[in-house]
Amino acid sequence: MHQPPKFIQSLLAKICPEYLWEGIAGDLEEQFYYDIEELGYKRAKQNYFWNAVKFIRPEILLRNKFKLKINNTIMITNYIKIAGRHMARRKLFTFINAFGLSIGLAFALLIYLYIQDEHSFDKFHANAERIYRVEEYAYRAWDPDPENPYIQSPWLQTPFAPTVKEELAEVEFAARFDTGEEYVVKSGKKIFTEPITFTDPDFFKMFSFPIVSGNQNEFLKEKHHAIITEAMAKKYFNDVDPLGATLLIDIDGEKEFEVVGVMQNPPANSSLYFDILVNQTHRFNYERSLANWSSFNTPTFVQLRKGADYAQFFDNLQGIRDKYMSERLARSKERYSIPDDVTQFEYHTTRLDNIHLNNNMYWHKVSDPQYSYILGALALLITIIAAINYISLALTTSTLRSTEVGVRKSIGASKNQLISQFAVESVVLVFVSLILGVLLMYLFLPTFNDFTGKAIELNFLNLLEIAGFAVLISLAIGLLAGAYPAFFLSSFSPTRVLKGGASTKVRAGIARPLVLLQFTLSTTLIISAFVMYQQMKYITTKDLGFKKDQVLVVPIQLGWTEEANLAVERVRNNLQNEPDIVSVAGTTSSFNRGWSRYGYEINGENKKAYVWAVDPSYINAMGIELLEGRNFSASIPSDTTALIVNEALVKDMGWDTPLDEYLNWREDTASLGYKVIGVVKDYHFRSLESEIEPMFLSMDKYEIGYYTTLLIKLKAGSLPGALDKVEEAFNESIPDKPFEYTFLDEDIQSQYASFERWMNIMGLATIFALLISGLGLFGLAGINVVNRMKEIGIRKVFGAPVSSIFILVNKQFVLMALIAFIIAAPLASYLMNNWWLGDFQFKIEMGWPIYVVSFLIGLTVALLTVTYHGIRAARLNPTSTLRYE
Amino acid sequence: MSTIYLGEFEELMLTMVGILKEEAYGNAIVEEVKAQLERKVNLSAVHVTLYRLEDKGLLKSFMGGATNERGGRRKRYFELTSAGVKVLQSLQEQRMKLWKLVPELKFSI
Repeated sequence: MHQPPKFIQSLLAKICPEYLWEGIAGDLEEQFYYDIEELGYKRAKQNYFWNAVKFIRPEILLRNKFKLKINNTIMITNYIKIAGRHMARRKLFTFINAFGLSIGLAFALLIYLYIQDEHSFDKFHANAERIYRVEEYAYRAWDPDPENPYIQSPWLQTPFAPTVKEELAEVEFAARFDTGEEYVVKSGKKIFTEPITFTDPDFFKMFSFPIVSGNQNEFLKEKHHAIITEAMAKKYFNDVDPLGATLLIDIDGEKEFEVVGVMQNPPANSSLYFDILVNQTHRFNYERSLANWSSFNTPTFVQLRKGADYAQFFDNLQGIRDKYMSERLARSKERYSIPDDVTQFEYHTTRLDNIHLNNNMYWHKVSDPQYSYILGALALLITIIAAINYISLALTTSTLRSTEVGVRKSIGASKNQLISQFAVESVVLVFVSLILGVLLMYLFLPTFNDFTGKAIELNFLNLLEIAGFAVLISLAIGLLAGAYPAFFLSSFSPTRVLKGGASTKVRAGIARPLVLLQFTLSTTLIISAFVMYQQMKYITTKDLGFKKDQVLVVPIQLGWTEEANLAVERVRNNLQNEPDIVSVAGTTSSFNRGWSRYGYEINGENKKAYVWAVDPSYINAMGIELLEGRNFSASIPSDTTALIVNEALVKDMGWDTPLDEYLNWREDTASLGYKVIGVVKDYHFRSLESEIEPMFLSMDKYEIGYYTTLLIKLKAGSLPGALDKVEEAFNESIPDKPFEYTFLDEDIQSQYASFERWMNIMGLATIFALLISGLGLFGLAGINVVNRMKEIGIRKVFGAPVSSIFILVNKQFVLMALIAFIIAAPLASYLMNNWWLGDFQFKIEMGWPIYVVSFLIGLTVALLTVTYHGIRAARLNPTSTLRYE
Repeated sequence: MSTIYLGEFEELMLTMVGILKEEAYGNAIVEEVKAQLERKVNLSAVHVTLYRLEDKGLLKSFMGGATNERGGRRKRYFELTSAGVKVLQSLQEQRMKLWKLVPELKFSI
């Protein structure tokens, strides 16, 4: 005999009201036997299952669990009414309670949005799970570092994409995506520089950036095609339809491009960004690099076919290496005597939607996943701190409710009813805070975006998610934080309460360590925020060895050509007699705009040095100090092959008299090399995160590079007029190129943007935490005063002055701030030294002023928050507390 | 009694209980609906609706005698209360009254 499925039967039996069970189970089983005859055992079993599952519905469940009696709904409305009255009567407490909770909630919601945004990167592409960025891991033959033996980089060989597409069965599409380099773009009178992206037609088949107009199957099919974003369309063509319009782009000479498509701007949570897309083939020296497997010059994405085996694909990638690179690898193995067991080169991949959180590799908008975790932990802490407040505040006011509880109990309220009454109260309060919290979140969102460098917008989707999350955490807080006070209040004995008046002592038991925890965390945050602030101040005001103020950075926009060097001369001549301009210097690149570094061999030893091509004005314009020798001179012809080195290089080479030395920095020349004519004092040519390393300056523009940038030193206080003159001179000397400029000090500051953002977030968290723990302390102080009412009363009767009572009440809070500080100081110093300051080569010492100031802030907050209760206690009329004794 | 509104499915169930008389229990109603209207109804929906009608006082239920074919479980039978009968009747009257007011359906071909 066949049996109905046992599992679902017993499950249903559990949730089904007992008095209905027999009828339901009987009907189900009857149906089951009919079905066996009609449809067979297998189908019957399935039908039984689904029929049974459909019984799991509210009409059945609710009948079982809580039969909602009319009676009860009246009570609940009554509870809500009482809760409302209670809140209205104690406005201050209600405000503090609701405000603390809503701040906590607002912060948690903001962090939730942040983390959600971090994890939403690139997920909008339909094929995100099949698209991979291919990367290289190359052994550092030149400078082996046992800790970190591989250079990891997303730059691949130009022939890689076409080759894998042809040779690997798993690859459906492959597109190179080389972005970022700026070129001059012209349309009619509009002329700007824009980053140009070089890519392949496959790009539009792989990625789901929405197309605004144009036929994406035709994109980049022809060499002269260009695809632009909506922002570009607006910038160059206003609202006129740009399809078919012409853009002149100066890549290696001015060329005409036809706009064949407009795409939506890449969203803020995209790891790929672009403004103007053109065909790969326009890249400098494209034909030559297409035959070259030894230079790595373009990032590459591949899309695997549906159902393709990733492991197989990965193996095949190494096959591509063996096929095309083995000769070259063998050569370098011999040359650098690389041990046999070392893998010199490997292809690796990162899936598109993981790119954003893979911070091992340089890419647009990568971020450290650690930040999400730390922020998440911060949000959790602040929420917990807020919940703690709720408990301690509810306990503080509980004695005031004792009479109410006593009356309710004596007229027959059960303990359960009282608990549900207080539960309703806490849920009501939490929902009020929720509304406030969401409002606060909304208000803070723009600031938060500023601080984090994000562009989070509220839309229907994330709003829905936020709403779900908010309701969830507020219910959790409401129930968890409301439970303890509810049980506590309902346990009052009616006889004691009604007979003896309000004398039930509040057990501050759990509240005290929790508030201590709050305070420790807040103090840790204060110290951390302080350290960050000090470090930021240090790196922005530190003497860099050169003068970064009043310097304009102006890109020449003529590419790496002889013409650029001539343009520098023309600008210089034009500005020669301007009193507001101190000097005009040309260089290969400005301070934070990239660098070149050469390796050379001295007596069999590998050395490296950074190098810049500069003109004779450079050292003066930048205020770099010359220690020995002389500056370059335009009138000494041999200076084109002369060098000025820095102290670090002199030290590295072990020179005693550097001016007698030559530096053979080209490993392939047999001559002595270039003569050293001067030594400059070490200056910070890179950010303060790195040491000052060996560096030299040269006038040899043919070998090192042409000038791309003008650095123009202005006289202090002459800004607007001088700027106009520079623009005039620029337009005259370099016609047809856009005049764009930045200030060097701002450029240098921007190197620390991510640190600055992080500091801002910590500052925000600190303020929130301080506010909330201040409120917590306020609650605890309240408990303290309530518990000692009688003691205070007796002391006053015996003539204790107000001040002594004030001290009595507040003493323990000073102590608490001290204990919190003693725990927090080593914690914060450990965290800061190992995590934040560890990133800097040049950093502040965490000296005693930081600690003292942080302690004072903590103490002040503590004292300010407890003062209210202190004064209240001190001014208490003893008759009111001692009346019943 | 004057204002009891029934949903379509509630009305169907009430009618079915009226039709099946002593034999009105969950499964029989499912079968009868299938037989009369060629309509598949879900057992759980039938049960839940019957309980709701019971809550409204239009039906009452009792357990029948033990049987063999249902794993020995008894059936929960439903029958109309007098209120249920009245609702059924008034529904019928209302339908007829309205039906007569529909002019186009007086066959003017």
